[in-house]
Amino acid sequence: MIRENKQIDLMTTGKDYWKSLDSLAETPGFKDWVSREFPEGASMFEGVQRRSFVKLMAASFGLAGLGMTGCRRPEHVILPYGKSPEELIPGIPAYYATAQPSSRGFQPLIVESHQGRPTKVEGNPSYLPFGGSTDVYSQASVLDLYDPDRAQGSFARQTLKNGVNRWKKVSTESVLDILNKELSNGKFAVLANRSHSLLRQSLQKKLSSSGIQWFEHDAIDCTSAENKLGKALGLKKALRAVPDLSSAKRVLSLDSDFLGNRDSNELANTRAFMSGRKVLKPSDAKKMNRLYIAESDLSRTGGVADHRLRVESSQMIGFASLVASELLSKLGGSDQSLKKHLKNLSSFTQDQKEWASEAVADLLSNPKKSVVLAGGHLPSEVQLLAYEMNRLLGAIGSTINYIEVGASADSILSLESKINDGSVECLFILGGNPVYQSKGFINWEVLSKKLKFVVRLGGSIDESSQIANYHLGQSHYLESWDLGTTWDQSSIVPVQPLIAPLFDTISEASLLSHLVGEEKDDHSLVKNLHYQYSNGGDFNDFLRLGVLATKPATFTSLEATKALLSIKPGKVKASKLTEDNLEVVIIPDFHAFDGQFSNNGWLQECPDPISKLTWDNALLISPVLAKILESKHVGLGLLPEPTMLNKNGQIAPDAAQFDGGKQKAPIVTVQVGDRSITAPLYVQPGLADFTLVATLGHGRSNVGRIGQGTGYDATPLLSGESLVLTGVSIEPTGDFKILANVQEHWSMEGRAIVREANVDEYAEDPSFASHMGAESHSPPMWGKDQDKSLQEKATTTPRGNSAYEHPDHTYEKSDVFGIHQWGMTIDLNQCTGCSACVVACQSENNIPIVGKDQVLRGREMHWIRLDRYFSSSVRDGAEIPSDVQVSFQGVACMHCETAPCESVCPVNATVHDEEGLNAMAYNRCVGTRYCANNCPYKVRRFNFFDWNKRKTDELYQGPLGDKNDSLVDMGKNPDVTVRMRGVMEKCTYCVQRIQESKIRTKVNAQRTAKLNSGNDDAEVKLEVKDLKVPDGTIKTACQQVCPSEAIVFGDISDPQSEVSKLKNNPRDYSVLGYLNTRPRTTFLAKVRNPNPRMPDFVSAPHSAREYHDAAHPSHHGDDHGTH
Amino acid sequence: MRNIFPRWSNTVPVKLIIALGMFGGAVVAGITYYATPKYTRVGYQPTQPVSYNHEFHAGELGLDCRYCHTGVEDSSHANIPGAQVCMSCHQNIKADSPLLEPVRESYYGEDSNKDGKLSEGEDKNGDGILNAGPAIPWVRIHKTPDYVYFNHAIHVNRGISCVECHGRVDQMVEVHHDKHLSMAFCLDCHRNPEKALRPLDEVTNLAWKAGSDDDVDPLIAQVHAGLELKESWGVHPPLSCTGCHR
Repeated sequence: MIRENKQIDLMTTGKDYWKSLDSLAETPGFKDWVSREFPEGASMFEGVQRRSFVKLMAASFGLAGLGMTGCRRPEHVILPYGKSPEELIPGIPAYYATAQPSSRGFQPLIVESHQGRPTKVEGNPSYLPFGGSTDVYSQASVLDLYDPDRAQGSFARQTLKNGVNRWKKVSTESVLDILNKELSNGKFAVLANRSHSLLRQSLQKKLSSSGIQWFEHDAIDCTSAENKLGKALGLKKALRAVPDLSSAKRVLSLDSDFLGNRDSNELANTRAFMSGRKVLKPSDAKKMNRLYIAESDLSRTGGVADHRLRVESSQMIGFASLVASELLSKLGGSDQSLKKHLKNLSSFTQDQKEWASEAVADLLSNPKKSVVLAGGHLPSEVQLLAYEMNRLLGAIGSTINYIEVGASADSILSLESKINDGSVECLFILGGNPVYQSKGFINWEVLSKKLKFVVRLGGSIDESSQIANYHLGQSHYLESWDLGTTWDQSSIVPVQPLIAPLFDTISEASLLSHLVGEEKDDHSLVKNLHYQYSNGGDFNDFLRLGVLATKPATFTSLEATKALLSIKPGKVKASKLTEDNLEVVIIPDFHAFDGQFSNNGWLQECPDPISKLTWDNALLISPVLAKILESKHVGLGLLPEPTMLNKNGQIAPDAAQFDGGKQKAPIVTVQVGDRSITAPLYVQPGLADFTLVATLGHGRSNVGRIGQGTGYDATPLLSGESLVLTGVSIEPTGDFKILANVQEHWSMEGRAIVREANVDEYAEDPSFASHMGAESHSPPMWGKDQDKSLQEKATTTPRGNSAYEHPDHTYEKSDVFGIHQWGMTIDLNQCTGCSACVVACQSENNIPIVGKDQVLRGREMHWIRLDRYFSSSVRDGAEIPSDVQVSFQGVACMHCETAPCESVCPVNATVHDEEGLNAMAYNRCVGTRYCANNCPYKVRRFNFFDWNKRKTDELYQGPLGDKNDSLVDMGKNPDVTVRMRGVMEKCTYCVQRIQESKIRTKVNAQRTAKLNSGNDDAEVKLEVKDLKVPDGTIKTACQQVCPSEAIVFGDISDPQSEVSKLKNNPRDYSVLGYLNTRPRTTFLAKVRNPNPRMPDFVSAPHSAREYHDAAHPSHHGDDHGTH
Repeated sequence: MRNIFPRWSNTVPVKLIIALGMFGGAVVAGITYYATPKYTRVGYQPTQPVSYNHEFHAGELGLDCRYCHTGVEDSSHANIPGAQVCMSCHQNIKADSPLLEPVRESYYGEDSNKDGKLSEGEDKNGDGILNAGPAIPWVRIHKTPDYVYFNHAIHVNRGISCVECHGRVDQMVEVHHDKHLSMAFCLDCHRNPEKALRPLDEVTNLAWKAGSDDDVDPLIAQVHAGLELKESWGVHPPLSCTGCHR
């Protein structure tokens, strides 16, 4: 009931609140306040003496007692509508179809709104390629709407004498008036980020006809591959590769991260590709697809791969030529010249020949069902080679489609020259952050002096605003109208607002239409445009569904031989990489992407799936290079010293040096020609030997409080051309930086936590997982009841060998019998490590962020974490392996039936409910933390501070510090308690969704039963089945976002439910099952599909081999690879 | 040597213990009585901005609860009606009553000539929309703590009457807090729902009593009727934490 009140309070008091913030923005101290270092909590508590802190605390308690303020009941008011909006029932959320504009196409979404406040983003299931899944960025985007550091209106820049910019708030209207005047005087140009907006496209045409020039720039240019391919094939248009992996049996990826964030269409690819890896019965084993990857960095795609070859990105033309020449010679065509040419091109990659040859043979053995994908950052030669190979494999039209798209607008470099020659005098910077992203190759300080007038439209005041005379606040996508296409151009999706702009901001479409001179609101523009595209279709129907199918312009086929023959060998033969001639690959950062999400706390704190770093980026280097560096610079501390333990091969070393549990990373200078940056090093297994990986998006200078001081800035390395640079050298500076890594240790040390097998072993022995782990050597947990069905076990909880009586939740034995028994399975074979579940859970369950300082203390609050393990062939001593296999495992509260946490709670705050949930009653918890200590899975999270109430940089000041900006509170889920300091919390299986569905079912039970019985008048007796929630109705937040459907939740007392079927699958196992905790969350073991003919084939996954070595030490050393 | 302590001091410890015991007892008794929901909540009757008379509307006129509290069957909240609901009658009845001024102000808002259309000079904030006026600040009476997720829909759809928690609102001129709504109050009913269950069409009939014969104890009649309904509907109210706390 309180929720209604809170919402209404916010809705009505909002205006005053924003006014006060606005006035704050005008004070001179605003700048200082914004730039205060945020996540580095290090400087905070150290300043406050403990004694004075205690003194102040005592004083404040005394005062609180005197006032007796707690005794009087505060008066709450309920503010109903004057005129109620239609179809709005307070307390019932509304869902709207919309889409998130991004450089990778519009992402179709369904957004949940609680009385006008958007709170949770879900995927739109009507867009079939995504199937209702979302990525981590869409999930986190709702937080940007409530970011207190947004541009809360429009501002005029005033430069003080010391060169510092101050921003004076002005009305958006007045800036538009000024803009109108300038439009008639100047030579205008627009510099925009790339977009898939059809509305922008149509307005852009009108703009160009009125003489306004248009330029585009994105540091991570998703359209670069299609432009390169179109150009290489001599087409006027760009050619976009859209893989359809649902029928692909063999995939060869050339440095393409098609399952990750480096290449486009992650969700559709993941969904399609991972569905081909679902093995539920031994007969599926043959149908399982196989992934080969040759890459320089260890990407998420590389983590999924069955065969992984480390190849430097700058050598990729040679490697692609090698693959192509193998393909040609195996196909046995007649064209000798091309064969010879390719052989010539690939002459220096001969040591990879066997790998390539066997991979190609495997691709060829699956005609029309194999595909070659090339990374978007690779040069046109590789794009062309991949295209030709797909043509030869017969993949075009079956596993990959090439669609024709319009060529990109002019680049930022041509804008630079036009400004220099005076043909552009006024600039309009539309979205993106081009000044930050291009500062490596454009001197904006000089260039901006040549511009007479600059206006910037942006979500926040950032680096690009610094050269602008006016900053126009841009409305968030949940506040604006737009119309755009998805990446595959198969659908047109609307962007419809869920809330009126919170501040005096303007949407991109309204602004462009203003520039065109049309005074139309963005709603009618979208409506008109939809009318055109749908040939008069119903607009409201379109908004309801959120998708309009269109037909992309599919490109059939064109021979590329001639283009291939023109590849110059000189360009290919890049000089051999050594420790003095390294390459650096610049990729989008997991947290910040290209910088657009660097002020998003959810993303900053969500660990990078591979490196597990939070709040920072690091320069990744290979173990081989680390060893070379270590020998050159003694005491660098990059690699750990061998210890007594690891000399015995007992405990493998970590990939980094730890100082008091904190990862200490040496800082180096990276030099490429005359460009250089400094960055902390992080040793990453799986990297190509002489590859450095730098990520964009961190180390920004003009950013909100979250993004302030995170990571290093890699943009000075950018040249505006390739993202792969060679001729790089690194030199340690002697300094160190502490990185917040949430998973310091990466080896399973031979424990059967993630259980894996190769597909052949699985086909022979589908229940291989139950033959692993300590429980396979111990008597059965359920004793004589071992063979009872899952349903019986779940409802009666047999004692097994335990001395304690267990609750019996059957109807006969209990007053409070549970008609459902909840359970979950996580299919480890489906997980790619995308981490969308982590942020979805954070959004659904009001999980706070804690800041880097607290992450360093191990206090992160995520209810679900993704454990990432590396395993390798036998290692000796302190060696960090170069070739690793990656395994991901999502771990949340397992809801153990015999939960160890429950028995140690002195106040019964954590108890079991009759439906098998391990309940956590926050209002009972007194914060002893015994439960967390007794939890073998380490999934309980403690509120050491009032994370939600206190500013993250003032936690240690307690009640003396400032309160958090309450704008963020608007995004909270009203169905979940916001926890305070001193209580424990953990995954609840989204109990709010369970209860809501149960209530819904019971509310409708009478009506449904009457309808079913056909008798409308008589009372119908309700059976248990009438009160059961139908399977599939409840989806937990993590389950709902998962693109590969790895997580399944449901009622295990129903033998027909999806989750029951999966739990009866022989691959199902419990983690640490030997503890007799009987977790309700179980895992389906991972199955790998390596090719026995490959040179790097191992007969069992490394982790399985490690387990068997540890479990049977007597055989140690003599049965490697044979298990 | 003279005794340092006088004779009366011998009884001081005993007196002190008794005094402390009495004081402690008084504090405990005081808290038990004054600091529980039974004392702090029951009888709470704030002054409302509009002196709406439940006894007249719900009692004498016989308006159904759901006429105004429309969301109660679907939502967790039994919403407070908007001014629109009041005005559906009061546009004609007592249309000029000064008591209803806040309601009219909230309903018409910018619509100063009350024609329902945006006329010249009415758009005071210049947004092109005819805005409603300020909401009527009804003072909240029944309130559960933040961590309690009470759901109206499930209760009224499963035969729990409004009267169980809100009392005879149809006899209250001004609504007051009638039941204490503590956790014990909730659990009492969740453990023995038969004491409260009634046919679905009598849920908003606050005067309804089980059994019609005068010679039967009404409580026994209720329990009999309630047990039958409980069996027939499969009512098993949750007793674990997750039922109400999320």
